[in-house]
Amino acid sequence: MANDAPAVEITDLVKEFKTTMRGRPLRAVDQVSLRIMPGEVYGLIGPNGSGKSTTMKALLGLLAPTAGSCKIFGRDSIKVDSRQDVGFLPENPYFYKHLTGGETLRFYGRLCGLGGSVLRERIEVLLELVDLKDARDRRVGGYSKGMLQRIGLAQAMIQHPRLVILDEPTAGVDPVGSREIRDLVLKLRDQGITVFLCSHLLEQVQEVCDRVGIIFAGKLIREGKLEELIAIEDQTEVVIRHADSALVSRIEEIIQSSDGAELVQTGKPRTTLERLFLKEIKRDHQS
Amino acid sequence: MSESTPTPAFKASHASRMVTLSLHAFTQLVRMKVFYFLAVFAVIVIGSNFFDMAQHQGPESVGANVLRNIKSWSLGAMALFAVVISIVATALLLPRDIEDRTLYTVLAKPVPRIDYLVGRLMGVLLLVFVSLAVMDLLMVAALHLRTGMVMEMQEKMAVGRGWPEEAIQSLKQETLASGVNWQLQAAVLAIFLKVAVMAAICLSVSTFSTSTLFTTVVSFLIFFIGHFQADALDFYLKGVEAGTSTFSQYLALGFSLFIPNFQLFNVVDGLVQNQPITLLMVGKLVMMACYYVLLYTLLAWWIFSDKEV
Ligand SMILES: Nc1ncnc2c1ncn2[C@@H]1O[C@H](COP(=O)(O)OP(=O)(O)OP(=O)(O)O)[C@@H](O)[C@H]1O
Ligand SMILES: [Mg+2]
Repeated sequence: MANDAPAVEITDLVKEFKTTMRGRPLRAVDQVSLRIMPGEVYGLIGPNGSGKSTTMKALLGLLAPTAGSCKIFGRDSIKVDSRQDVGFLPENPYFYKHLTGGETLRFYGRLCGLGGSVLRERIEVLLELVDLKDARDRRVGGYSKGMLQRIGLAQAMIQHPRLVILDEPTAGVDPVGSREIRDLVLKLRDQGITVFLCSHLLEQVQEVCDRVGIIFAGKLIREGKLEELIAIEDQTEVVIRHADSALVSRIEEIIQSSDGAELVQTGKPRTTLERLFLKEIKRDHQS
Repeated sequence: MSESTPTPAFKASHASRMVTLSLHAFTQLVRMKVFYFLAVFAVIVIGSNFFDMAQHQGPESVGANVLRNIKSWSLGAMALFAVVISIVATALLLPRDIEDRTLYTVLAKPVPRIDYLVGRLMGVLLLVFVSLAVMDLLMVAALHLRTGMVMEMQEKMAVGRGWPEEAIQSLKQETLASGVNWQLQAAVLAIFLKVAVMAAICLSVSTFSTSTLFTTVVSFLIFFIGHFQADALDFYLKGVEAGTSTFSQYLALGFSLFIPNFQLFNVVDGLVQNQPITLLMVGKLVMMACYYVLLYTLLAWWIFSDKEV
């Protein structure tokens, strides 16, 4: 197996669903092609029902493509062994309610061929990583949404996969939790693990992804490096603390007198709601 | 963190994955508290002790009814419970995995679909096996105790009536023979084989159905057809002219290739009447069960391999 094979290679993927007996089939994914190189963090963004989850399921061989093909590290998704190197977190994950957190990880680890002390240590590490040590002996049926998401992440990473596919990893998770998930994704990237995630929370995608693709109504309409997509090349931002009105008007004068430059806007930058929320919580914790 | 260690390639064998999946299914079913039914079974076994019609004849008939009752009630209840458990449990597993979307998480791991199916089937069979073993134990214990009591009574009565020693001994032998013996175990094995076939049929039904209810209903339907197929064919064969009998024989054969004749597994009735089960019969049943389990597992695989989850 060539080591420089793309982690993900989707070629002209089409997926149609039969809707009714006679009606026209629904085209959920339409001629999507994308390629993710090893070590990249790729974000697929798009509104509800645009075909993000369908693309991921086809990539994992859970759905058979109507046309086109999907490959993981050069191996066709239809083949079972293509899944050796992948971890998957489904959207709104749901696990076996009768198992505890620890048993859940053991079950998935065994399916991947882990066992004995290797598996035990791995479970320890992962429970620590997703902060579920206290809940390891509780049944997953009683987990909250955020906890399910985290046990799902741990489950996805159980066999040290080289590619992790996350379908809306932060859905239903509070800002602190989603920040932790973001940090986890960054940590994965530092270890050279490829991450393919999708979301409709643009801000979060912006924070972690190297490249993004925008999917709409089943079509990949835009794709590229994040900075290239969002930078406004002809503008510059200056943020000043304690500026009085005299200083501001002097700056405005300078801009007006210089050739070709134009003032687009002044005003107070607003903190994002997310930042405010996190700051307030931290303050609350400290007091 | 130990995260950065080079990743070794793990690979599970088919067998180990199947074992993992079957133990998982077994745990799931046990934690649904299916074993509570064993309490009901215990009540039936104990109850069957009291269905002794008062008889005031010779020592030879004292208690014979009790022993027969214990056997027929216990084996009957075992057959019933085993079939219900296997159908309901099998019908529960796959549709529930699809409904809860837990199937994604399993199939997103390197798990071939045949491993998943066989693992589930083995889990149900393990459950049935354990249930049957416990019930068997209860039955044997009850029968053993009761046989001892019956023999004591018979001896007392026979001595009281001045029977010769020889006659008493042979009566004892006879009573022992209708107590605990290997024939009973063969009957339990026959129940297990029948239920294994039923579980495999139910598994293949569940691969194309979408609900537990549908799977359960269809499986029970097949179960009843399997019981009456022999009678129905008999009836049909008697109705046709002698000339077309080869055709109808082929028809019967073709039918039995797919629908097992469950009547053949009912060795219990004969056993209760003290008709012996031969090794040949057991061998035939084992072969038949293997054939149908294999057939229906392959059918399930064939349907499931293209299924979109
Ligand atoms: N199994 C299915 N049968 C029929 N239609 C389906 C099926 N799965 C998905 N679809 C349809 O395909 C389209 C894309 O669905 P998909 O789940 O991929 O969207 P998504 O981008 O993940 O949306 P969301 O952000 O809501 O998760 C939708 O119109 C959906 O109704
Ligand atoms: Mg989705």
